[in-house]
Amino acid sequence: MKNYFINVWNAFYTALVGLKVTFLHLFIKSVTVKYPLERDKVPANSRMKLEVDWADCIGCKACERACPVQCIHIDTSKALPEDNLAATKNGTARKLLVSNFTIDLSECLYCALCVYPCPEDCINMTPNYEFGKYDRKLLIEQFAPFSDDDRAKRQAFEEELKKKKLAEKAVKTKEKE
Amino acid sequence: MQGIISLFESGLGLPELWAFVIGVVVFSLLIFLFIALFVIVAVWLERKVSAVIQDRWGPMRAGLTIQGELQTIADTVKLLMKEDIIPKPVDKLLFILAPFIVFTATFMVFAGIPLGPNAYSGTFDLGLFYLIAISSLGVIGIVMAGWASNNKWSLYGAMRSVAQIVSYEIPIALILIAVVMYSGSFSVKEIIATQDTGYGIFGWFLFRNPFMFVAAILFLIAGTAENNRTPFDLPESESELIAGFHTEYTGMRFAFFFLAEYANMFVVGVLLAILFLGGYAPIWHVAALADIPVLGWFFGSSGFWIILKAMLVVIIQMWFRWTFPRLRVDQLMYTAWKVLIPFTMAIIVLNGIWMKLFNLI
Amino acid sequence: MKELLFVFFAVITVVSAGIVSFSRNLIYSVFSLMATFIGVAALYVFLAADFIALAQIMVYVGGILVLLIFGVMLTQKISTVTITHLSVNRVWIVFLGLLLLGGLGYTIFNTSWFTGEMRAAEPTVKAIGNLLMGKYLLAFEVASVLLLGALIGAATIARKEEQ
Repeated sequence: MKNYFINVWNAFYTALVGLKVTFLHLFIKSVTVKYPLERDKVPANSRMKLEVDWADCIGCKACERACPVQCIHIDTSKALPEDNLAATKNGTARKLLVSNFTIDLSECLYCALCVYPCPEDCINMTPNYEFGKYDRKLLIEQFAPFSDDDRAKRQAFEEELKKKKLAEKAVKTKEKE
Repeated sequence: MQGIISLFESGLGLPELWAFVIGVVVFSLLIFLFIALFVIVAVWLERKVSAVIQDRWGPMRAGLTIQGELQTIADTVKLLMKEDIIPKPVDKLLFILAPFIVFTATFMVFAGIPLGPNAYSGTFDLGLFYLIAISSLGVIGIVMAGWASNNKWSLYGAMRSVAQIVSYEIPIALILIAVVMYSGSFSVKEIIATQDTGYGIFGWFLFRNPFMFVAAILFLIAGTAENNRTPFDLPESESELIAGFHTEYTGMRFAFFFLAEYANMFVVGVLLAILFLGGYAPIWHVAALADIPVLGWFFGSSGFWIILKAMLVVIIQMWFRWTFPRLRVDQLMYTAWKVLIPFTMAIIVLNGIWMKLFNLI
Repeated sequence: MKELLFVFFAVITVVSAGIVSFSRNLIYSVFSLMATFIGVAALYVFLAADFIALAQIMVYVGGILVLLIFGVMLTQKISTVTITHLSVNRVWIVFLGLLLLGGLGYTIFNTSWFTGEMRAAEPTVKAIGNLLMGKYLLAFEVASVLLLGALIGAATIARKEEQ
């Protein structure tokens, strides 16, 4: 009998304690933020959207090989004299022209494994996390500043160059013989 | 309001049958509007209360100001747009009928809520008994929904719900007796008149004697259990039974269950207000309050006070929901049969002794 | 107007009572019993017996019907939607039914019914309370003792005997 009343009292008392705990939260400032109006500050080194500085890329494809999900695609071609490629910020001369540098951000898993092998520090994780799009295809980001026409021209030229080389080679081998 | 009622009572100059039909339709619509409005406010409140307790903001975007007060309306529109699915193996007739029975019971209870001393349901001699009796009809709808769904979760939910509601109806009825001992009548008007002594809140049954205070707490517990809310939400415990008896319902049909559930919270609030908090009597009679331009009209009207008190109880129920974890089935039954019922019986006896000691009979 | 409402509730009562007896689906029978009870409660209201009407709803719909539903649901093969019940012992049932019909008919036709104008409903609670606590106190108490006995008996039967 005594136990029964102690039990009932305990249940009632602990319920009051619980109510007090939740009541006190009335005076605690909200820990979440009103997102579109205000934003949490993210650390400067946080791994969000990938950014590439095309002007520094030497087309070594180290990042493409490092990517565990193959979301990076790079096409390169030989640089032409009229391209006037400046050296990178590390002072490396750019011998290859990166005509196509796409990253499929819908596939990227933000592991930053592509960042470390880059010899020129041109691929980086940025703290920008607001890059939602209405179409999945729009998430494939192109970093090379070429239009599709440009790229086609470049490719045609490249192929011509290759043919020329082959022809030269053929001539050379013939001469040797 | 009184003018409108007497207008309908006079018959509008139409044949008796037509006047009756039009009166019924108009007042049903009014009650439905009231329920819908209350639920819209209550759901928003629930989300805000939960947000405050969990240190969040809650809905902030939809609405004219920046508190998301139109969020529920947006949600309602979404709910009504949903596809109405009737699963193949259900018992179609009962499946369709069930939400309407649940809602009708709640609806009938709302018809009996007295918003002022002139409301018919207030003067009706058995007003309080009517509220309690009709609210027990909803159980049938719940068990019908659970059984017709042809789904073991629904059935379990319905069985639990019925066992729970039937058990907790007893302490509620017993507490009613304790109150009626003081007022000497089941009439809501009498009960509130007994509490409206001119001393404001000190006339309330809540403060009449220590046992009545305990009775009010027990009534709040039993009422929370009666409308299946946490910590007594075993019939629809998400983690065990998905959603209990309304697992299979979608769209409009689900909306009816939802409306009934929230409206029942209000009913418990109104009952508690009538029984212990002085009903539609103001918290304190201050004549000067009525002279304040806009607020004075609110303070002067009786409907404002009963809705205010009921909303307070509704908020307390929400506070319960976001504080307590769910009870186990055996704990639930233990609470009803071994704690609430003996305590309420003891309260009735002690009440009688108290009244005899202080010559209140 | 009142006649129309009376006919409405009478039809509900009779039709749902018919479903209770004739439906082959047990669960339909049980649920339509609810309509019967509510119809009867409404008829009580027409007889100016408001307390009885509400007690009818509270006790029969809220209590007894729920117990019946529980009974049905605890029967076997609850998982299938179509529980059917068959009539057995038809001869005896017809015999008993006819006997009951005769008895009720005799009572109905030999009672001097109160006929007159419909009166406004008066509060009945006080009168009922005074009668229960005064004139019929013994019967009331005996009934409660009987119920208590039934309760204890049920608990004893249901309780598992400890070894």
